[in-house]
Amino acid sequence: MLWSGQSGHWLLQGMLTTLAISALGWILAAALGVLAGALRTVPWRPLRALATAYVEFFRNVPLLVWMFFWYFGVPPLLPEPVRQWLFDHSAEFWAGMVALGVYHGARMSEVIRSGIQAIPRTQFEAAVAMGLTTGQAYRLVIVPIALRLIVPPATSESLNLLKNSSVALTISVAELTFQTRQIETYTAKAIEALTAGTVIYLVLCLSIATIMARLERRFAIPGMIARGR
Amino acid sequence: MRRILALTLVLALGAAALAAPAWSQEGTLDKIAKTGVLTIGTRTASPPFAYVNKSNEWVGFSIDLVEQLIKPQVEKAVGKPIKVEKKESTPPTRIPLLSSNAVDLIAGTMTDTPQRRESVDFSLTFFYTGAQFLVKKGSPIRGVKDIAGKRIASQQGSTNAKIIREKYPQAQLREFPDQPAAFQALVQGQVDAYTNDGIQLYGLKAKAANPAQWEVVGDFYSEEPYGMAMRKGDAKFKQVVDAGLRHGFESGKYFELYDKWFGPKGEVPYPMTPQVKAYLLKQIGK
Amino acid sequence: MDFSVITANFQFLVVQGLLGLGGFTGGTLRLAIPAIGLGFLLGIVIGVARLARTPWLHVPATVYVEFFRGVPLVMVIFWIWFIVPQLLGLPIPEYGVALTAFVVFEAAYFGEIVRAGIQSVPRGQVEAATAVGLTGAQTLRFVVLPQAIRNMVPSLVTQMIVLFKDTSLASIIGYVDLTKAAQIVNNREIRPFELYLFVAVVYWIFTYSMSLAARRFERRASTT
Repeated sequence: MLWSGQSGHWLLQGMLTTLAISALGWILAAALGVLAGALRTVPWRPLRALATAYVEFFRNVPLLVWMFFWYFGVPPLLPEPVRQWLFDHSAEFWAGMVALGVYHGARMSEVIRSGIQAIPRTQFEAAVAMGLTTGQAYRLVIVPIALRLIVPPATSESLNLLKNSSVALTISVAELTFQTRQIETYTAKAIEALTAGTVIYLVLCLSIATIMARLERRFAIPGMIARGR
Repeated sequence: MRRILALTLVLALGAAALAAPAWSQEGTLDKIAKTGVLTIGTRTASPPFAYVNKSNEWVGFSIDLVEQLIKPQVEKAVGKPIKVEKKESTPPTRIPLLSSNAVDLIAGTMTDTPQRRESVDFSLTFFYTGAQFLVKKGSPIRGVKDIAGKRIASQQGSTNAKIIREKYPQAQLREFPDQPAAFQALVQGQVDAYTNDGIQLYGLKAKAANPAQWEVVGDFYSEEPYGMAMRKGDAKFKQVVDAGLRHGFESGKYFELYDKWFGPKGEVPYPMTPQVKAYLLKQIGK
Repeated sequence: MDFSVITANFQFLVVQGLLGLGGFTGGTLRLAIPAIGLGFLLGIVIGVARLARTPWLHVPATVYVEFFRGVPLVMVIFWIWFIVPQLLGLPIPEYGVALTAFVVFEAAYFGEIVRAGIQSVPRGQVEAATAVGLTGAQTLRFVVLPQAIRNMVPSLVTQMIVLFKDTSLASIIGYVDLTKAAQIVNNREIRPFELYLFVAVVYWIFTYSMSLAARRFERRASTT
């Protein structure tokens, strides 16, 4: 396999783009996920309803449709200076990132919600009894514990995000799968290109899974359940 | 442990694939005789060559050429009536679709180039145009000399993308998987110009919501003769396809179809210059 | 915001894109329903094989699952689209490519759900079955699987919803499903906001109904 020159360069660029869009998308997804997941468990109806609406709408629609929506449908509605900035700075990358982040945020919120619900209510009551407000109880007690509980399903969702970044090729984000097609278009070596891309994804996913498994063992809270989905 | 297993499997697959010589070389005509179907790869959004019109029907000049000129010849060659099936192909996917036997003939907007002739065979040229730019009316870009530093859209895998990338690297080239994506980028202002073969730009402009908003500018910065592509080395099939086109030129049917799509009352008026007509006829020795 | 583009093309979008009836090869439902059925069946095979004692069964099954869970579905679709026809020497229609890709990919996920479901059946059940005189295969068929299936229904329906959404990726290879139909119309009319919002709502109607049905089933079945 000749991975020098043009093809190797494209593959490397593709891999870096995949990692970049996945990392940024993950940050957005984690933020939205923690917020929505927590809001779905609070005692106030309107907040719960808002979070539920977000989750139920965004996660039940295919990611591909969201990609087209954020890339083609949304920019014309933005104010002119924002639009110009976007177009000068790879609008498709940002659209893809937002699509990934919002979609996976909805999915992550379910994972975080089940983590929060696995914590015995006594923890929350003890926090409140010590004088913390609900907001502080969530921020300082509940969410940190929940995050440690949910490492396996959260890893699984994070890997899904990484794999789903490939859908961004439909809006011309030059991520890894797009680049394997690019190589194949210019060199006609389909099998080599696809094999290279596949191997890179496998290595990325298996490495991340192994690291997270090790992290999980370190952060596991003895005595609490939620091991193995 | 599992990781090693999975990786081994993939590497083994890759190695086997490299060693494997590839595709069966059954002739296209034999395949058509067996299945009764001629599968063509064509575009869905390149008016007027091949596109989906307002009634959501898949029509076009290239499609007509196949159905009215090529199909009768194929039927004569295999001795029975056949069906024409259409599949979507775009610049990045058309050669792989051909080599994987998913389609038998690419009949769309493919330029015949010496480099492509290394992987596929081409029929006689059925259209002649050149590469230009589509811009918003009044744009400062008037031709290929003005594109340095500007954002230019093109289709991934097209001759235009290759030329801009190699000969005009100062332009910011953005490649899109197909024409509609590139055009939308132009509409939304994401790029300053869209480059493609002149006739396709005229087709886009004609079908745009507001044609007066767009102009096609620039001298041809490359010559683009269109041919139908087929698998390499299949001489019998190429003979049949060429016979279809030849018959079309000689009998005048080709010019009727040309008039239907490009004539004054056609979808995209684009009169054929005498030079182009002479070029087309010279192919068949006239 | 002009929604007339939806009404003008409603028939094409719904009848061709969703149901698959029309001049193009397509149809979301035509792809999703067999994919879910076949994917689940293959998933049962994979899941059971993973739990088999002989390495001849559980090693390939494990490699299968680890492989397909480590690559994007888009890649698998491209493999089957380009490479398999070359290796087999036969052309494969888009419907076949998409269906194969989905079945093969989702079976890995269904397999994991089946495995977890089977493992959730208490060991006592298996022992009791053997004590009563059933063979291994009979135990699986009459005792373990029925209980396992009841336990896995929530995860199963979730995965079916995922598969239903994943069928949108068939549009990448030109299969005219709901998403591709919207693309075709958008390419002509350029009204992405209205069209993709409409498509989002249609998908949502289906997937949300599926999840409501699952929740109802769960509530009724959880009286154990």
